[in-house]
Amino acid sequence: MKHPITLNVNGTPYSVDVATAQSLLYAVRDQLGLTGSKEGCDDSECGACMMLVDGRPTNSCSYLAVQADGAEITTVEGLGEGDELSPLQQVFLEEGGVQCGFCTPGMLIAATALLQANPSPTAEEIRIGVSGNLCRCTGYDGIVRAVLRVSREGASV
Amino acid sequence: MAAVESKQAQQVFIRPDGKEKVTGVGRYTADLNLTGQVHAKFRYADHTHARITRIDASKARALAGVFAVLTHADVPEVRYGGMVQDRLMFAKDAVRFEGDIIAGVAALTPEIAAQAAALVEVDYEPLPAITDYESAMAPGAQLIHSDWESYGAEDMGRDGNVLGHSTVIRGDADAAMATADAVVSGRYVADASQGAPIEPRAIIAQWQGDKVTVWTSTQVPFAARTGVATVLELPESHVRVVVPLLGGGFGSKCDFHFEGHVAALARAARRPVKLVFSRHEEFIAPDHRREGMAVELETGVRKDGTIVARRARLVIDGGAYCGEGGFFAQMAAMHAIGPYQMENVSIDSYLVYSNNQPSSSIRAPTAPQACWAVEQHMDEVAAAIGMDPVELRRRTLIERGKASATGQIMDEIGIRETLEAAAEMIGYGQDLPDDEAIGVACGWWPSFGVNSGAYVKLNGDGSGTIITGAMESGTGAVMGLPILAAEVLGMKPEDFSILYQDTDAGPWDMGSSGSQTTFNNGRAVICAATEVREQLLDMAEKELEASRGDLEIADGVVRVIGSPDKSISIADLAGSGTPLLGKGSGDVPEAGPSDIASHCIGDLGLTAFLAPQLITHAAHVKVDRDTGVVRVLRFAAAHDSGKIVNRIGADGQVYGGVMMGIGQALTEGTTFDSEGRQINPHLLDYKLMTASDGPEIMIHWEEVVTPNAGPKGSKGVGEPPSVPTSGAVGNAIAAVIGRHVNQLPMTAERVWATSQENGQ
Ligand code: FES
Ligand code: FES
Repeated sequence: MKHPITLNVNGTPYSVDVATAQSLLYAVRDQLGLTGSKEGCDDSECGACMMLVDGRPTNSCSYLAVQADGAEITTVEGLGEGDELSPLQQVFLEEGGVQCGFCTPGMLIAATALLQANPSPTAEEIRIGVSGNLCRCTGYDGIVRAVLRVSREGASV
Repeated sequence: MAAVESKQAQQVFIRPDGKEKVTGVGRYTADLNLTGQVHAKFRYADHTHARITRIDASKARALAGVFAVLTHADVPEVRYGGMVQDRLMFAKDAVRFEGDIIAGVAALTPEIAAQAAALVEVDYEPLPAITDYESAMAPGAQLIHSDWESYGAEDMGRDGNVLGHSTVIRGDADAAMATADAVVSGRYVADASQGAPIEPRAIIAQWQGDKVTVWTSTQVPFAARTGVATVLELPESHVRVVVPLLGGGFGSKCDFHFEGHVAALARAARRPVKLVFSRHEEFIAPDHRREGMAVELETGVRKDGTIVARRARLVIDGGAYCGEGGFFAQMAAMHAIGPYQMENVSIDSYLVYSNNQPSSSIRAPTAPQACWAVEQHMDEVAAAIGMDPVELRRRTLIERGKASATGQIMDEIGIRETLEAAAEMIGYGQDLPDDEAIGVACGWWPSFGVNSGAYVKLNGDGSGTIITGAMESGTGAVMGLPILAAEVLGMKPEDFSILYQDTDAGPWDMGSSGSQTTFNNGRAVICAATEVREQLLDMAEKELEASRGDLEIADGVVRVIGSPDKSISIADLAGSGTPLLGKGSGDVPEAGPSDIASHCIGDLGLTAFLAPQLITHAAHVKVDRDTGVVRVLRFAAAHDSGKIVNRIGADGQVYGGVMMGIGQALTEGTTFDSEGRQINPHLLDYKLMTASDGPEIMIHWEEVVTPNAGPKGSKGVGEPPSVPTSGAVGNAIAAVIGRHVNQLPMTAERVWATSQENGQ
């Protein structure tokens, strides 16, 4: 059975028909063609698929597309402005927060949500804030440094 | 928006693939879709060890929406494998582990493909499964490969279930042991573990006439190309392998895996075929995981710390097939000795078949486990003579000009300096609460000198292009190549683009394995750039009417030294229509000889280590005595990787490698049931370290400019950061609980149980 829903992704409304069991991740990847969000486990274990759903960081692999009907959704593609990288995106690169990049979309979403909730987190709070996102490459150090730097330099996320 | 001041002005190296990665527009294999593509699923073995008596795929083939079902009967019968050809694409007479593939299906949707895979009928005669790999060596044990003698293989001491046997023998260990003041023995057993990249693998194959293009998440595109050509009996020129962005590998995506299956399915389906692994499949199906290992050690020592002899016996779980892990017996033997001086060694190391998932290279294969055993053993040796463990290492580590335990005369090396640096960074010797302690461990890992190739060309707009066979798995090694080309050509790294990960474009390269990219492809890029430099100077000599010796290349121009207005830009020279194209591979460095290779069994050339990467790690841990839970609070990593070419990249390897090592120390273990099925093939029970588990990590580079090594005196970087990590953590735990935990990972349960044995 298909359900007509509206997904507002990165400020653009999309009308799509989705199956009941369709995950938000696959609606966004397959139907909208936004493949920035990744599947690492399909089981809410890795955070690679993380999106903001009405501002809340959400593992979209384990969230039904129909639940997101009408919600405001932000994916990694929505973080920058045009060609400009967001401060977080820029600093992730400068601090070595990106290696293979597969965790990066979810990690950036988690860090964005963290900074929105807590604009000046401690290193410990950052580590806890992104602990739902697995990264096998960076050892997290560059990621923590990047988030700290953005918060210290007082950039709008 | 740009409220953060960019560090770019301060010459921070931004990886060229960075922007596509942080914006989400970068494409990984699973992000690609081809018009008309259908989807692949595999039917895996229903037993971990059984004879196959019947396969009937007719019901699967009859299902609506199915385009192709392939079994062994539908593809050439080609046994493949790097050192032992013991594997078929599709199981024919037998299955030997839970990931053996019986059939592949291509269907309109992944769901239909899964349904069809389940409809393949298979009859089996189950055989006893061997999951306790040490028992595979017992006389009369069920053979995993009954026709092992007929396989093509290198000479590696094979015998029945023994896949490889290596000895390292020097001096007379028995006689020397009798002269020791103390003899210490111990047994350590490491569980298997996983590379566990966050990207599960994906493959798409599309045929155009009799040629196939395969997009795949491999670390080794050229090996994948050879694999496809071999199993489908095609000329290599008919196979093109392209790797989109790769989401990590850590060794698990080395070797040839499933590209042949998908290419065969695409040919049969007459459609592009896409395969994307689930996380469960990523755990069980690849013939790649870190090997379980049982290590028995005996060391004789004099009161002054001189190690007079070491004996060791190692048994390594090779799993059901050899894969590219055939060198493990000898590599593990080298790590059972470690970077120490000793005159007398006698090491027996066995790689054995079992019905577990096959083992192959994961980040520094065999080293972390063997090093974990040896380094804890070294602390026990120190205790036996009442010496501080750091002092024992200080007295016994290898040094320049002296012979290693295999008789290799060491070049300029800095391991002693790494020991001092790590001890200082961690504050060794400080007073700590009684549930905290510091542990130290040393290790080594060879650099691998192999052929590698690159082209460098200059473009009319003054930019350069590096066309390389090298593979970027995320480490930044390929991303750092422009630094080397730019230096030769007086340009800026950002002037270069890189064309990579396409076997039809770049020359052959071994791939992202063996920490070899900068070491070998860096050399190739420098050679290619040097050739272009000569071409530029040839042209400029004529244009500027100057002699070569008066010319320099800098800031994007060729100019006459001392006359700044007599210059011509690289853009003008490159835009003149004369092609500026260089190629290079360079001379491959080789390790100096050991003095024992000739009388060792199963010698594969590893008894001497080329440009060894040397490491000391120090861990400061806290142990909860009531629960056994260990937390690493601070960590010091001191490395001699020679000259560091790209600091941000090298640091990234240490941060990531240490965290991987801590995971292997404390939580990461693949457990098999009594038949060899994985009990924890998912990320909740196979627990990777999260950000909140991470300690503060301090890094020191001992930049010994190394002769006979990589570019600028560099060595490899990527694998060593996981080598002594678990040994350092283990020694710290033992310093708290008074006893060494002899199983890896050192889970809370095991730490607690060990502390109870001690009556603490
Ligand atoms: S893919 Fe959603 S949490 Fe891993
Ligand atoms: S950068 Fe590779 S998983 Fe995080």
